[in-house]
Amino acid sequence: MSLLAVSNLTKHYRRGGKTVIAVDDVSFHIEPGETLALAGPSGSGKSTIARLVLRLIEPDAGAIEFEDNDFLALGGAALRARRARLQTVFQDPLAAFNPRATVAHVLDDPLRIHGIASRSERPHRIAALLERVGLAADLAPRAIHEISGGQRQRVAIARAIATKPSLIVLDEAVSALDVSVRGQILDLLLDLQRQERIAYLFISHDLGVVRAVSHRVILLDAGRIAESGDARAVIDAPQSAIGKALVAAAPRLKRTTQDAS
Amino acid sequence: MSPLRRFLRTPEAVAGAILLAALIAMALIAPLLFPGDPQAIAGPALLPPFQDWSLPLGTDRLGRDVLAELFHGARTSLAVGLAAAAAALAIGAVVGTLAGFAGGLVDEVLMRITDAFQTVPSFLLALAFVSVVGPSLGIVVAAIALGTWTGPARVARAEVLSIRERDYVASARAIGMHPLEIAFREVLPNALPPVLAMSSVIVAAAILTEAALSFLGLGDPNRVTWGGMIAEGRAVLRTAPFLSIVPGIALVLTVLGVYLAGEGVVETTAVRRSLS
Ligand SMILES: Nc1ncnc2c1ncn2[C@@H]1O[C@H](COP(=O)(O)OP(=O)(O)O)[C@@H](O)[C@H]1O
Ligand SMILES: [Mg+2]
Repeated sequence: MSLLAVSNLTKHYRRGGKTVIAVDDVSFHIEPGETLALAGPSGSGKSTIARLVLRLIEPDAGAIEFEDNDFLALGGAALRARRARLQTVFQDPLAAFNPRATVAHVLDDPLRIHGIASRSERPHRIAALLERVGLAADLAPRAIHEISGGQRQRVAIARAIATKPSLIVLDEAVSALDVSVRGQILDLLLDLQRQERIAYLFISHDLGVVRAVSHRVILLDAGRIAESGDARAVIDAPQSAIGKALVAAAPRLKRTTQDAS
Repeated sequence: MSPLRRFLRTPEAVAGAILLAALIAMALIAPLLFPGDPQAIAGPALLPPFQDWSLPLGTDRLGRDVLAELFHGARTSLAVGLAAAAAALAIGAVVGTLAGFAGGLVDEVLMRITDAFQTVPSFLLALAFVSVVGPSLGIVVAAIALGTWTGPARVARAEVLSIRERDYVASARAIGMHPLEIAFREVLPNALPPVLAMSSVIVAAAILTEAALSFLGLGDPNRVTWGGMIAEGRAVLRTAPFLSIVPGIALVLTVLGVYLAGEGVVETTAVRRSLS
């Protein structure tokens, strides 16, 4: 069985009398330890799928199976407990943290909520998590707004892995970072995947990054799957119109794929 | 420039702070300066001010020391004003946060209740409440809070509605935090600044409401209040106007001081926030 199996997922939004079909009959699956990328132009429904999979919003139709359970059937305390296994890292690490929080505080939350460590153990766990994501343990007492963007995204990753999830949804998680920092964060993600066998739902509009880190890719267009398959195969030779347009619009990618061929 | 220095450069704010400091000082030293019951008879009745230096502001109809009453009245005004405002802000913040964060039916019901409270003039509400339950300090505080929590509730709700869409709230849900913890620990503290910014107006209004209730004889009978003093003096308004004028001036200066100092704080900190 797949780790995550999404079938016929559909989500509409009503705005000013008009109905926007943000996600239209989308099905896919993710295997343990695999990276599945969702790529597509802005507004194609990538973030909506991420929010649906995370149960931050509810679908209009479709099913989500996670770890062999009907994920949509969960509610209340059962859902909150299961969330430990399905984590997320947002695009803007500053917006994703309470503006008053400290590093220790945001890492303490998942450990406390899921009863992973007692109060006295938690400072050690927090230090270990910080070290795991390549940060110094003495960063713990600092305020979130005091540290750099790259450090913040590492803290976000530490928070996501605190509960030992099997799947992490990364919605444009590296898009806001400088190119050099982006490479380091991607390396960290790949390293975590190798060590802990975490699967990623990797959302990005940057096909170059997608090609570098993903096993498989789904290209979305206006809420529908336009094309899917092996990440390199799809990006090197896109079949769909949107795939060709996306590849053509990525100059950096064109060069690397030409170099490769 | 630090907010404190900016505050000190605003003349209204400084004037307000001085008035407020004087009021607090009066309230604090009242039992030291005038030990014993301020409602006890201290001399001949209706002694005018500045006649006898042991009774600088003279005496009232029953021969009570007006200056002692004034100092003890400051205690009541300040205590009631602060307690009522704190209660109103707390109720408003909690109701507004629940309504804004829960949305749906909870929001609908809480906002209907807020509407209902808001349509009744807050003074009438306080009046009715004290008339029914009976006057005591706690009841007066509750009565005033009952009529003033709706403003903070609306402001808190509006703020929560915008905060709950932020990523950090989604992030808190995604790690499995309980909705009540998200509402009160993650959202509420960040929704507080605009709610707290209302506190000077609310404290000032609460002090006035308390005075009005006391004036109507609905204050705590065991405490000296400025409203009660004004009501007392009204009977002899022609012959001894100072009995009403003295507490009246104290009331005006207090309300002015609270308002100016509060606005000064809001203004100087708001500027800092918009600059950073
Ligand atoms: N909360 C919302 N209300 C109304 N429309 C929305 C909402 N969220 C997303 N949409 C619409 O759904 C579509 C897909 O959006 P989104 O999933 O954010 O795309 P992407 O992440 O690929 O840029 C867009 O047309 C967007 O305008
Ligand atoms: Mg998006």
